[in-house]
Amino acid sequence: MDINFLLANTLNGVVYGAFLLLTSLGLSLVFGLGRVVNFAHGALYALGGYALIVVMQQSAGYWLALVLGPLLVVPLAIAIERAAIHPLRSRPEIYTLLVTFGITFMIIGALEYIWGTGTTLVEVPSPFAGTVTILGNPYPVYRLVAAGLSLLVSATVFAFIQFSAIGLQIRAVTDDAGMAEAIGVNTKWLLTAVFGAAAGLAAFAGALGAPIFAIHPDMGSGILIDSFLAVILGGLGNLPGTAVGALFVALTKSIGGGYVAEWSLAILFVVVAIALIFRPTGLFGRGRVA
Amino acid sequence: MEAPRFAKLTLVTLLAATVYAGPAAGQAESIKIGVLTLRSGPMSPIGDDIIAGIETATRMQGPLLGKPVELIVEESQWNAQLAVTKATKLVQQNKVAAILGTSTVEALALVAVADRLRVPIVTSNSGGAALTRQNCSKWVFRTNAEDLMSAAALKQVLAEKPKLGSAKWFTLGHDYPYSRLVAKTVQGVTGGNYVGEAFAPLDTTDWSPFIARVRSAGATAIMMSITLGTPLLQFVQQANEFGLTKEAQLVAPIGLPDWLVAKLGPLSTNIISTGSWAAWRYEEKNPATKQFNEVFYKQHGRVAGMQSLQSASATMMVYRAIEKAGSTDPQAVVRALETIQVATPVGPLKFQPGGRQAMVPLFLGPYEELKIPRYGARYAQLVEIAFPASKSLPPTGSDAGCKLK
Repeated sequence: MDINFLLANTLNGVVYGAFLLLTSLGLSLVFGLGRVVNFAHGALYALGGYALIVVMQQSAGYWLALVLGPLLVVPLAIAIERAAIHPLRSRPEIYTLLVTFGITFMIIGALEYIWGTGTTLVEVPSPFAGTVTILGNPYPVYRLVAAGLSLLVSATVFAFIQFSAIGLQIRAVTDDAGMAEAIGVNTKWLLTAVFGAAAGLAAFAGALGAPIFAIHPDMGSGILIDSFLAVILGGLGNLPGTAVGALFVALTKSIGGGYVAEWSLAILFVVVAIALIFRPTGLFGRGRVA
Repeated sequence: MEAPRFAKLTLVTLLAATVYAGPAAGQAESIKIGVLTLRSGPMSPIGDDIIAGIETATRMQGPLLGKPVELIVEESQWNAQLAVTKATKLVQQNKVAAILGTSTVEALALVAVADRLRVPIVTSNSGGAALTRQNCSKWVFRTNAEDLMSAAALKQVLAEKPKLGSAKWFTLGHDYPYSRLVAKTVQGVTGGNYVGEAFAPLDTTDWSPFIARVRSAGATAIMMSITLGTPLLQFVQQANEFGLTKEAQLVAPIGLPDWLVAKLGPLSTNIISTGSWAAWRYEEKNPATKQFNEVFYKQHGRVAGMQSLQSASATMMVYRAIEKAGSTDPQAVVRALETIQVATPVGPLKFQPGGRQAMVPLFLGPYEELKIPRYGARYAQLVEIAFPASKSLPPTGSDAGCKLK
């Protein structure tokens, strides 16, 4: 194995990390704000893929579908939050965990019922179908574009949280929900809105990843595990920590997969376990243990 | 008053007699055949194809020993324990005359209880060689080729195709026993031309690290022992995305189901099969395949896939054996299975003397776009070579390690 091989896998890891960041952000936001461990996040990611298909079937191009498809998922997610999560807000976290777990099966079941259990391949949009030579190896242009878009959207989310008035409210609720409510922040409305936005992010990731990973009802389960690992490693509810966690998970899978494929998953879990033994709140956690 | 009472009594008696004797007089008792296969999840199209093949073979058969045939389908989830439970139910409650369908997991589980079930089990989708070699059972037959036969076919391909014979081989598969068996076989056959192997975790969705590894090894032929279904679709799509398909030949060790070929579309033309269990384009050489394909298309509106052709062949063997036995007596049907030869969609079939493996050919060739779509298919495997069982299988069951009690 040469240095070129290592660099190729590092690039693979960075690209996957950018994509993973997009899916992890929503998880982290929803947990940070409402202490909701959202197991339905993977199913919402899958819904994004199917929403893309629905819009594309209306003779829309890929890029228009990439924008409109995820928007279709947002109202559905808001309805789920109001109907199933909102009534359990005052209950322990295990309640919402179990409910979202159940919702996952309902969404996957509905997808299978409507579209069947098969896999749909989505063609890479034509301007980005080729490869560019990086480090002496051909590399898919679309992966670089998708990674760039993921980083752009993630950066926008970070900026929104950091600099907008609503972002300030989100940070306030994440730090101390009781105090934020006492000074007039409508936490219930905020969680509903953030849940919808997080679902939109997940759906956008599902649609953006469709030309790479294909679309099938269970497509969210793998990315959900990686996203949870990223969020846990970075510190539940901590957005910068989530970004580092996503990059770490992606690089471990990519470089590990390149050298010791059979052990890559085990290595990832062992590293996360060791990190949590020494830092129970995650690498960037701020004293809160879920 | 007497006359109406008599009339009423007669009417009631006649009605009761009709109800009581209805099924026996109205229709002959059916012969029940059990089908055990996967019915749910992303791999369910394989189960659908298995059932569809059995249905068409049953339609082509018509009444058996003058009785209608009734198929009883049970979900196995490719789960050993569930397969045993469902097989027991099929035998004890439904009184089936034989069990069809089954893949390796179920078939190996049923071997262990076959002496208790005491019905012929003819599997058509099981690769594990042990099933008809060291673990063989009097009751369990197989119509598809087993893994060691595939290894022999691969040798033949390497000898006949200089491009593949001189290629640098890499095995890429999922991290499960079958992949390692394939890797061992490829390494043994290709010798010094074997440049590496990698086994991905079963939940792999991003194949980019493995593509980098294949590239780093300088491979020009990739044996894909990747789970048929979504993972294979993802890998082929990503290999194409990375331009790997321009550098290396993708090779499928046991071919691809035709529903997968349809999904891959033009991407399938990057793949060559070194040992498909069946191929519908064998109809260009075998009239029985063409006849079956036409009936299948009329019944199901799609092309007969690899698993359909195989399951139909197993079904035809069972029906012919029941006809020869003249009854559904399990012992007699097993004896008949040992001696019959049947024209099936995969060619003339008979079982290995003293064994339980069908002398079935393997179908070698590339996937290509059809000039004129047939049966709704636009892409399909060309049958360049129908590799005969006489070259891939020891002459007798005993030579293959099968010691029947």
